[in-house]
Amino acid sequence: MPKRFNITLCDGPSCMHKNSKEIVAAIEAQLKKHELSDHVGINLSGCLGMCARGPVMIINPGYSIYGDFTEKDIPEIIEQHIKKNKPIARFIIDEDHLYNRFFRVFGDVNFFGKQMRIALRNCGIIDPENIDDYISLRGYEALAKVLTDIAPEKVIGQIKKSGLRGRGGAGFPTGIKWELTAREKSDEKFVICNADEGDPGAFMDRSAIEGDPHTIVEGMAIAGYAIGAQKGIVYIRAEYPLAVKRIKKAIADARKEGFLGQNILGTGFSFDIEVRLGAGAFVCGEETALMLSIEGHRGMPRPRPPFPSVSGLFGRPTLINNVETLANIPVIILDGAQWFSSLGTEKSKGTKVFALAGKIKNTGLVEVPMGTTLRQIIYNIGGGIPGDKQFKAVQTGGPSGGCLSEEYLDTKIDYESLAAAGSIMGSGGMIVIDEDSCMVNIAKFFLEFTQNESCGKCTPCREGTKRMLEILTRITEGKGSQEDIDKLLRLGNMIKKASLCGLGQSAPNPVLSTIKNFRAEYEEHVRDKRCRAGVCRHLLVYEITDKCVGCSACKKACPAEAISGALKQKHLIDVNKCVKCGACFKICKFGAIKKS
Amino acid sequence: MKPLEIIRKKRAEAINRIIAKGYLSSKRVYVGMATCEIAAGSKEVMEVFQDAVKSGLSDVYLSQKGCAGRCNLEPTVEVVEEGRIPLKYGLVTKEKAKEIIERHLKKGEVIKEWLIK
Ligand SMILES: Cc1cc2nc3c(=O)[nH]c(=O)nc-3n(C[C@H](O)[C@H](O)[C@H](O)COP(=O)(O)O)c2cc1C
Ligand code: SF4
Ligand code: FES
Repeated sequence: MPKRFNITLCDGPSCMHKNSKEIVAAIEAQLKKHELSDHVGINLSGCLGMCARGPVMIINPGYSIYGDFTEKDIPEIIEQHIKKNKPIARFIIDEDHLYNRFFRVFGDVNFFGKQMRIALRNCGIIDPENIDDYISLRGYEALAKVLTDIAPEKVIGQIKKSGLRGRGGAGFPTGIKWELTAREKSDEKFVICNADEGDPGAFMDRSAIEGDPHTIVEGMAIAGYAIGAQKGIVYIRAEYPLAVKRIKKAIADARKEGFLGQNILGTGFSFDIEVRLGAGAFVCGEETALMLSIEGHRGMPRPRPPFPSVSGLFGRPTLINNVETLANIPVIILDGAQWFSSLGTEKSKGTKVFALAGKIKNTGLVEVPMGTTLRQIIYNIGGGIPGDKQFKAVQTGGPSGGCLSEEYLDTKIDYESLAAAGSIMGSGGMIVIDEDSCMVNIAKFFLEFTQNESCGKCTPCREGTKRMLEILTRITEGKGSQEDIDKLLRLGNMIKKASLCGLGQSAPNPVLSTIKNFRAEYEEHVRDKRCRAGVCRHLLVYEITDKCVGCSACKKACPAEAISGALKQKHLIDVNKCVKCGACFKICKFGAIKKS
Repeated sequence: MKPLEIIRKKRAEAINRIIAKGYLSSKRVYVGMATCEIAAGSKEVMEVFQDAVKSGLSDVYLSQKGCAGRCNLEPTVEVVEEGRIPLKYGLVTKEKAKEIIERHLKKGEVIKEWLIK
């Protein structure tokens, strides 16, 4: 039997222009000619990161990367590589890049093959508790490289040049943050890795640490070298016991190998990391609150300036970066800042990890180049909405983000485009919502979360979110008025302007964005007392139809004694007594109860 | 020695240690062991493979791995053979793990219905 191959042809924005359609046709024709069609899988990928050599394709097994070919070369490639198992050297791009390591194992599966992985490059292909696995894939080589021949200012220069921006939510340029911290003179400086990850439903950082903890350790050590710090702290929530265990083991193993501790790799540079556990308050992920919490105080944000780069932990210059931000660092050093900055859009470089969840066929972790559209993520990678349901909205950015409707599906993923559309990149939550969800209720869900997590320091956030929640509750119970919608807008905009920290500044976003994009649903709730998704319980009307045989089961089930009717005769629900519990609907064996 | 030379040496040593653990066996099996995978039942799946190795399943390199990101198909198990496209099983249970051992690892029969596509 001929050996099985898989051909992944790049269908990214750059290669697409170099006739990938003709190439697919040529490949298919050749495979047919050689009667090999059943033995070769073909899939189209997103950008494979080698645009300058496009068109690009990868033949697996073996991860042979073909570049600079045309459809005229296809007969030769199929004949030699697929039929005779002899890769053709003159087309092959001979690179041992760090990114996309996972591709060798997972690239032929559509869900994975359309991704590009930098931060998650090793997740799912190595034993995270074995430092040898990491080292064998060029782990700690980036650290060794900077220690050998790149001066700290030059490292910062590379991070700046890469265009990397913070993945923790705010998107601040990482290189500039490093430079600001490096500039401060102090006998003690800190590097903090923010692994608090408090967004409900987010698990990118947990997976990154559990799958490849050494990349965080290496990223932090490089940061320490660049800014002149000797101490690092990983601030991670206690609810992540396995991630805590793995990062601790990684730190201990790295110390044993001489990648942490005194006089690292004989260079005189010393740096060590400790782990601090967070108690799980959402606000403790905010950088100033996080540092207070490490110092042993109650985690409450404080005004900035002074910024952490000037006066951070224990008043010392402190660099604070998110897990995913740090996971990119070794790749930038080894695969190149220039290369990294070739990925993405004008102002957002590299990739972003999303936790894809909600009403979507393929839930999971998705890492894609910046500039990929929401539609590509939801339909090409996520496989679309299950059960022939209608797409309604996509929520990005968690409780600080917004809901975007169908007309925004072609929005490109980058910090500016998402903000312009009325949402945010945030830390990477992406929840798909279908027609069965009520947008007012979704907004209420997120606001309940932020309202609960408000630390209470400033009045607009503490009281304002409470008032907004009251209004939303009123609307979902059918007691809202037209003015309530305007009141929500006024309050929301005020809270955004007057709150001290990002929690308050972003808490109204889910409400404001749903009013902007789904105002009709709010109006139906207040004007018609109707919830089109049938979610808001108080707005439901239960009616008994002619299918009723008068069995009286519903009458017995109703806790409010709202149902009347003689045995074997059609029953009736008194809408004034009905408490909308749905007990009758559930118990009826004849489908005689209509819910609307 | 310069750090880059040290790391090259360490890399060679690391690879040798991995090989000494049986990396060059004809099949490598990776079982997802992240919080999400474990919640879906991967610990029991791992135990099935560990027991099989203990009771004599040879020429197999068994390793844990982090989460690759296909949440609703967990637990996941990969069978990797040098020179072949790695095979990825999804929704693996204890029972399926036993069958993967009997049919795939011992007899080389790929169980197509359980593969992630
Ligand atoms: C309420 C709130 C919660 C936050 N939670 C997190 C978090 O869980 N993880 C994180 O990395 N950043 C979080 N941030 C952002 C941090 O304040 C900070 O900007 C970030 O850690 C900086 O790292 P980066 O530049 O690498 O993104 C939060 C901010 C706010 C206002
Ligand atoms: S905005 Fe809210 S969470 Fe932030 S400091 Fe003020 S009260 Fe606390
Ligand atoms: S678009 Fe093909 S490699 Fe970038």
